Amino acid sequence: MSATKSESTKRLKISKGSIFSHAFIWVFILFTLFPIYVVIESSFNNGGALSTNSFVPSGWSWVNYKALFHDAAVPFGRWMFNSFVLASANAVISVFIGGAAAFAFSRMKFRGRKIGLQALLLVQVFPSFLAIAAIYVMMGSVYTVFPKIGIGSMGGLLLIYLGGSMGVNIWLLRGYINTIPMELDEAARIDGASTVQVYWLIFFPLAAPVLAVTALLAFIGTFNEFILASLFLTNVDQRTVAVGLESFIGAALGQNWGPFAAGSILASIPLVIIFLSLQRFIIGGLTQGATKG
Amino acid sequence: MALLDAIMVTMFVAAYNKKSGPIEAVIAILFALLNYVYFSKRSIPLKFLTPGLVLMVLFILVPVIYTVSMSFFNYQTGNLGSKDGAVTAILQTGLTPDAKNTQYDMAIGTRNGKITVLLTDPNTKQSFIGTASGATPLAIGQFKAAANGDAIGYPGFVPYTADQFGNLSDQISALQIPMPNHIGFAEPQTESSASLFTQQYSYDKQRDTLTNVQNGAIYLDNHNGNFALATDKTKVIYPGWRAYNGFANYLHLFDDATIRGPFISVFIWTVGFSFVTVLMMFAAGLLLAVILDRKIALKRFYRSVLILPYAIPSLMSILVWKGMFQTQFGAINGLFGTHIDFLDSAWMARGVVLIVNLWLGFPYFYLISAGALQAVPAELSEAASIDGARPYQILRQIKLPLVLQILSPLLIASFAFNFNNFNLIYLLTGGGPTNVLAGKSSGATDILITYTYKTAFNGTSSNFGLASAISMMIFFIIGGLSLWSIRRANVLENN
Repeated sequence: MSATKSESTKRLKISKGSIFSHAFIWVFILFTLFPIYVVIESSFNNGGALSTNSFVPSGWSWVNYKALFHDAAVPFGRWMFNSFVLASANAVISVFIGGAAAFAFSRMKFRGRKIGLQALLLVQVFPSFLAIAAIYVMMGSVYTVFPKIGIGSMGGLLLIYLGGSMGVNIWLLRGYINTIPMELDEAARIDGASTVQVYWLIFFPLAAPVLAVTALLAFIGTFNEFILASLFLTNVDQRTVAVGLESFIGAALGQNWGPFAAGSILASIPLVIIFLSLQRFIIGGLTQGATKG
Repeated sequence: MALLDAIMVTMFVAAYNKKSGPIEAVIAILFALLNYVYFSKRSIPLKFLTPGLVLMVLFILVPVIYTVSMSFFNYQTGNLGSKDGAVTAILQTGLTPDAKNTQYDMAIGTRNGKITVLLTDPNTKQSFIGTASGATPLAIGQFKAAANGDAIGYPGFVPYTADQFGNLSDQISALQIPMPNHIGFAEPQTESSASLFTQQYSYDKQRDTLTNVQNGAIYLDNHNGNFALATDKTKVIYPGWRAYNGFANYLHLFDDATIRGPFISVFIWTVGFSFVTVLMMFAAGLLLAVILDRKIALKRFYRSVLILPYAIPSLMSILVWKGMFQTQFGAINGLFGTHIDFLDSAWMARGVVLIVNLWLGFPYFYLISAGALQAVPAELSEAASIDGARPYQILRQIKLPLVLQILSPLLIASFAFNFNNFNLIYLLTGGGPTNVLAGKSSGATDILITYTYKTAFNGTSSNFGLASAISMMIFFIIGGLSLWSIRRANVLENN
């Protein structure tokens, strides 16, 4: 090594700084991993209660996982199914409907477009559960006429999710669509394509990745939603996994902790896998949608 | 389309059958709108916009408008229904034994398929025959009398056996027999006796007043959803009804000490929490991003571990953290061998909320900070280093200001999000600890949105009007903040 003197002092400095850097990072690594470790450990712990004094696992077993699928009072499989149905339905439908509206806002000239956009912007910052009392009373009266879409039904809940996420979705998708070159549409039009054809044949395939990301965000959002689901779905069999697991931990934490840990791991794994495999797109979407305005 | 039309027609008929006006109207409008949009060739943009707009109008705009209107009503437990309903309920429930405590000897049975009673006043020896629809006096000789003069038989009257009486006890105990001359109702008390009850209130439809029959006190409509004593307005009769009360719900937030106290303390915590938590998450995220922006060993490993909290569904994480802070079995107490009830002390609970939210949120801030750092043009740093700036100076004076500028809309959005971070507070602490002994209705970690929820859906005393008023306050704060942020972003863009 033929390092000059100045270079070696520089290196020394960096390594001092990097000691602090590494220390700081490790604090956060431990902070991040701590709850994850605790959950995994207690999900395999057959003691029932959370291991108290030792952090070394004491006996591994699948007892907690089995309990989730063999207890009629805890239809965990059913809850997962409900969550996935609701989340997928919301993701798919909202992308189709939102994509169409975003396409119109991005590519068409019509009266009221500007006002519409501004209204959209305001609407998307109002989370729909701010009006939760109103939604509750409203869907209660819908129930008297159509039990299928009123309070206590997954159909009604889906409609509210769709309405609630529409503002954000249209806004995000519009941001993406604006980045698709206009020349493509124009070329297609010159070749004689109608607006609807441009939408389905040009725009939809091109925007597929961003549509997928929006759908994914809608999916995660629905999966994480608690308040409306807990208010709407009173029947045990109708619960989403979020509401179900909450009810689980609410009552007697001491006995339920093990199965709860197992349940929360099972419920998280699909989402973590989806997220990590698509993180590049999701992260791009996060910053882009917000900064491009 | 034809299928959709068919469904809507069916739905309309169903709504029409139930006579629910607003729902009929909504379906009719939808029907007309959708058919116009998709069968006419005129407006292509509308074909694309309509489904999204319909959903937004129905499930955001309508609830918002409804919230606005509810906030102007006295709409709470005890004031839920219509005025007619309230008057009927007052008249029915306000029954008290009459002044003389009149008791009747009674024979109960069936006649013409209806529950029928034969009543005899043992003092006056006057007998009656009655059903739920009314009673008529009987002259001596019309009925079969027992030795003491009580009516025990009448043509067509078949007395109940003890078994029948037992089986029908629910219906019988609910039986009210209006006595002649409006003196009150006879209600069966045992198998062989009934008591006379008089109405406590009588309603004068023309003057819209209730009068206490026994002491003559007069109650007037207080224009706030209740009848109140004419001489003392604080004495009101329940149930009341849902009544327009103007800005009363809003004013209560400021002039009613029992409401103002919790509202103001919740408001302060909401703002403080949102501010501090965003600051903490942003500081941690930015620092991590700055460190990991350089070449550093294990960078990829660090990165993938650090974004884990963002990948895990936040709801699960919150519940897990809740379990870990638990007193007896919680991992935190287990780790230190202590028995601290973290969620029982106001400041510890607030600390827990901040720590958990830091865990949930710092990966997001790390990701956006890293993205923003990458977005700073390399030429700027190069130019600065040519001018002799040291790496720290480049970071401090060139990169950070730019990063802050890029991220400020996201910081404001995050502030708005945490302002309404219902899941975190509701699932982690439930808003508590709440000092119930001191008569507090709000907890130390309650933010406005959880407080609204508690106000609207509190099992024993729900107050939809007040909850809607608080919701409106949140609308204004968040809406104003967003508008300001957008204006600001537009200004930046135009420059």
